[in-house]
Amino acid sequence: NEDGEVQEVDMQAQAEGIRTVFNDPTNFNVKHPLYSSWTLWFDSPATKGRNLPQTPISAFPQTPLPQTPGPAAAHGWMEDIKRVISFDSVEEFWGLYNNIVPPSQLPPKANYYLFKEGIIPAWEDDANKNGGKWSIQLPKDKNRGNVDNFWLYTMLAAIGETFDPELTTADPAGPPPESLITGVIVSTRPQFYRISIWTRLSPASGAEDDPLRQRIERIGRHFKTGVLGYQENQKLNAPLATEVEFLSHKDSEKKGKGAKKIVV
Amino acid sequence: SGTARASIASPLPSALATARIIDDLGRVSYPEGIKSPKVELNINAKDSKFRYDRDFLLQFMKVCKEKPDMLPPLDAIGLEPVDQPNYPMTRGGSGRHRQSSNA
Repeated sequence: NEDGEVQEVDMQAQAEGIRTVFNDPTNFNVKHPLYSSWTLWFDSPATKGRNLPQTPISAFPQTPLPQTPGPAAAHGWMEDIKRVISFDSVEEFWGLYNNIVPPSQLPPKANYYLFKEGIIPAWEDDANKNGGKWSIQLPKDKNRGNVDNFWLYTMLAAIGETFDPELTTADPAGPPPESLITGVIVSTRPQFYRISIWTRLSPASGAEDDPLRQRIERIGRHFKTGVLGYQENQKLNAPLATEVEFLSHKDSEKKGKGAKKIVV
Repeated sequence: SGTARASIASPLPSALATARIIDDLGRVSYPEGIKSPKVELNINAKDSKFRYDRDFLLQFMKVCKEKPDMLPPLDAIGLEPVDQPNYPMTRGGSGRHRQSSNA
């Protein structure tokens, strides 16, 4: 009977040492903290109307601005979006990744939303309302074999905090700089996939020398080349496919009228 | 307590629950063959706010496989895989697809 078997580990000899999961996969004593805590959300037609693990919007630390209609307006939107789990270490991320459904196996019309803790995946959240998103649309038939890695690499750039290069150059005496990234989304539709990177801010002007625009464009270029592996000047536009393009949430609401897209 | 936790394979508390947060990446040494995080990403790092490159992160994929205690049963939130290999391509936007209408 092996059930009662006690693992004999030389605890004392190792007690003083730092053991990562690579040194000892079952008995590690340190974990790698992420720059931010993250929450994974999910919705699909199958989640609608389910009142099982309902996600009360009040459970989230909204920036208290009760006079604005934002969080209330997001309430209907959030009703069918299920909170899956929160995590704040590299090790926890992989435990989740290895036990959840990859995008290629999701039904059509499903979405994963991976957002920083405390930010709900809605335009109305204070962290998102002045922002926008980089996104790419990929035809499903040509990308079934790519989408899982694209989404994994997008998540890794998000939790590793490598989308926004400004963070390295900040003044070490100041507070830790705030990243422009609020979350990332993968969406499955009957004929295409879409992956999006949401940012806290979006450039107000179209001026090419606007520092914010340059910072946003660096995020888009990193997404296209570093994360997705396309060439810098590669044209991606095709039936059911888009370039890697940025649109502010305010312009998205206008449904195309006067929308100023940035393309990398 | 007293609740049966049959899904937990190990009776020991998971290392994840008791492991402490690394506060100085420079003091961690990795086994041979494991790459450290890129130093240039964390030049001004403090307060355990670290940035990690993809190659470093990917090394955990094969090691951290334990299902998180906090993960809800996926079917309870409607998160179930479709049987992709037999999944028929729909063309022309008819919107019909296999077994997705359980409403």
